[in-house]
Amino acid sequence: MAENAAQTSVGQKKAAVGFSRSLLLTPSEDLVGFLSGHLGRAILFCITATSVAAVLLIFYFVIRESIPFFYTGTAASGIARVKEFFLDTGWYPSATVPRYGALALIVGSLYVTIGALVIAVPLGLLAGVYLSDIAPFSLRQICKPVIEILAAIPSVAYGFFAVMVLAPWLQTHLGFSTGTNAMNASLILAVMALPTIISVSEDAMSAIGREIREASYGLGATRAETMIKVVLPAAHSGILAAVLLGMMRAIGETMVVWMASGNASRIPSPWWDVSQSIRTMTATIAGDMGETPKNSEHYYALFTVGLTLLVFTFSLNLISEYLLSQIMRNKRGGK
Amino acid sequence: MRLILRQFLDKAFTLAAAVSVLIIVGILLVVLVPMFQKGLSAVFFTETIEFRKLQKETHNRGNDEALQRRIEQTNAARKPIYDVLADFSLGINTESLVKEAKDIYQKYGEYLNYHNIPKDQYTEYRKQAKDIRDTMIAALESDNKDIVLANLDKVLAQEENPIYKDSPVQKLFILALQYQKTARTIDVAKRSEYLTNLQEVTTAIRQLFGPLPGEALPPLPMDQYGATRMDMAQKALHILLWDEAWVSDGDGKPLVKKNISRREQFAGTALEPLFDQVEKNIDVLLMPQFRCYWQYFIDDWVNSHYFGGVGPEILGTLMLTILAMVFAIPLGVISAAYLVEYAPDNHWIKLVRMCINTLAGVPSIVYGLFGLAFFVVTIHAIGKPCILAASLTLSILALPVIIRASEEAIRLVPQTYREASLALGAGKFRTLVNVVLPAAAPGILTGIILSLSRAAGETAPILFTGVVAMGPIPNFGSPSEWIRNPGSLFGGLLQPTRALSYGSYDIAVGDRISMLVPHQQFGMVMTLILLVLILNIAAIVIRSKMSKKLRGY
Repeated sequence: MAENAAQTSVGQKKAAVGFSRSLLLTPSEDLVGFLSGHLGRAILFCITATSVAAVLLIFYFVIRESIPFFYTGTAASGIARVKEFFLDTGWYPSATVPRYGALALIVGSLYVTIGALVIAVPLGLLAGVYLSDIAPFSLRQICKPVIEILAAIPSVAYGFFAVMVLAPWLQTHLGFSTGTNAMNASLILAVMALPTIISVSEDAMSAIGREIREASYGLGATRAETMIKVVLPAAHSGILAAVLLGMMRAIGETMVVWMASGNASRIPSPWWDVSQSIRTMTATIAGDMGETPKNSEHYYALFTVGLTLLVFTFSLNLISEYLLSQIMRNKRGGK
Repeated sequence: MRLILRQFLDKAFTLAAAVSVLIIVGILLVVLVPMFQKGLSAVFFTETIEFRKLQKETHNRGNDEALQRRIEQTNAARKPIYDVLADFSLGINTESLVKEAKDIYQKYGEYLNYHNIPKDQYTEYRKQAKDIRDTMIAALESDNKDIVLANLDKVLAQEENPIYKDSPVQKLFILALQYQKTARTIDVAKRSEYLTNLQEVTTAIRQLFGPLPGEALPPLPMDQYGATRMDMAQKALHILLWDEAWVSDGDGKPLVKKNISRREQFAGTALEPLFDQVEKNIDVLLMPQFRCYWQYFIDDWVNSHYFGGVGPEILGTLMLTILAMVFAIPLGVISAAYLVEYAPDNHWIKLVRMCINTLAGVPSIVYGLFGLAFFVVTIHAIGKPCILAASLTLSILALPVIIRASEEAIRLVPQTYREASLALGAGKFRTLVNVVLPAAAPGILTGIILSLSRAAGETAPILFTGVVAMGPIPNFGSPSEWIRNPGSLFGGLLQPTRALSYGSYDIAVGDRISMLVPHQQFGMVMTLILLVLILNIAAIVIRSKMSKKLRGY
């Protein structure tokens, strides 16, 4: 774009001053420059394409290592495997007749994620509102680093906190039989999802123009009414994206759930009993892979769990990206 | 009325929003404060003489002479305690006394043989000695105090008998005397109870002061020293002074924990003064002193993190992240520059952007799976979990973070800079290298530091690709070797390493010995958080300086 601007300004000057010819060299006059420019561009593009290659490689290898799990000879056995994987709750890879039912793991992942969102979304949205519309500038300058530090603390440190501090506390103060359970994992995941939710939703709310707020105030609405009835609906796509990104962070999290969820592969019953131990997809991969011989059925099964996870986060990513592009359009429209 | 309600709701909303921010700040404090509080105690604590001994013996730190003098002082102070303990335990452990009595009887037989005693006299002596032995054993095995004392008197009546002069039986009389002393003070019927309690007391004494004199050196370093820290000494002292027991509090009620004073348990016995001696003289016995153990950050562990520090873990984390950055920074910055300065607005570039976003959203454990399947299994030059595979995996994880931050930074460089450079006749590439990138450098640096901190904290991607909980420090050989054979450097990269992040996991969940020493557990995590926080604060400072500079124009 800068080049274009420079070219047009040069063109205008030419007309005014009256150069005999364009100042820009033609490819034939500056062959080396032309070639090196294009070659350089090609090299730069190739370097940039590394990310594409990385994504493709990740998909290729995870898919390649999970195919043998399903492709066991006949189509019928493959379908039986798929059925077992998605509909069976028994994950007993080292039994004499191994069972690879990942339903409890998938449910476990969703369970802690939703648990985390139930806590993190209201808190995060309120904090986002506070930071975008209520807090004075100086306070915002203090709060931003706090949120950044919250996001920067490594997941293993959160997991450590869950095991060493939170679990004993839950056990003594709430009388749970075990401190490492779904509630513990959800609480910590909520803390980890908070920074994402706050910053993305704050951005989304800030992107809603000043005019809209002023119009609402002009009609006599209070700040709460403006925020709830005008700004939040206008920013809904960004807020949804914030929730989805927070969800992605929570569902892909490994160390915290591995350390804090108790790792018992079963679906909680009754469903609301958060004091039960559960097991997630990520924790299963992390916990089992170390003891699994390469190219065994169990190894392929773990890659299949990884693939499920990858597909899940990939689709969440696509949706949130679509939503965020909506915000960008809003932003441009607002201006 | 309606207006008041609306105003009230508005105030409530504002309050709720403010409270939510306060909650978040509170969460940060709740997470960080205990970590730092307990973690810092791994570095700053009250050391004891045992810690100084440990430091001297494992790392040769400290003044030899002064330490020797101190050790002698404490040994002198400890001697009476050991004496009391030895005295009492000799009298109480009747099983070993019985064994000893039988032993002595046997030796007496050998003694008689040796001295060529005539046959009939020999049988006579043996019979008498056997009588003494049996009386002694009866005394030892009886639960009735009167019987015990009567039997002991019978035994001791023989003491003056000239036939036993200089014979092994003399030793039996000494035992009898000792046991008499003990039996007079204790309730003989509760002998076994005393014995179990005595064992607990001995264990506590060992925890406080190390192995008892005359004992063989235990194989594990954790048993070779007494309490190295005052907080651990206090715990051991508590075990010494109080017996924790679960007692029933009426029928049907759950058992409650109760502390029973050992002084009462051993009231009236020879052991009673020991407790006062230890409690009152603990300062002389252990010589506590404040210590800033900064070497925690460079020392290797001793006895699986029971002693020592996290040096190799820090080194491993730095190696992994810096190597990852070596791969990721050029790729990331060049990609960002291309995307901002050169990229046409077409579908390919949209695809590239989508891939970068996807990469940022891939769960970290999937990176680990990919690293395992690609770097470890597929690339034969690597072929096993090692530093190289782990840092390559981390570099892919850091790539999108660097690209996004650099893109942002390059975009923030004012357009006028580029125009000025172009107007001076510089080409596009020259403008990028000489003007745009230097101007964007602080922003790019911020992004790099942030991705460095993220890579340092990641555990899941390196779990299967090159990290171990316990293992040797990677050996890279010497610099002269690198010059002769550059391959040796590469060989160093093919070893697995320890890292702070995985170490924090292992020390909390995997390692049983570390569970005895919470300060070591929290110390490791604190080091990791400290590292990440320092990096983040550096990034925040650079950014705030940069935004000031940009505002200045």
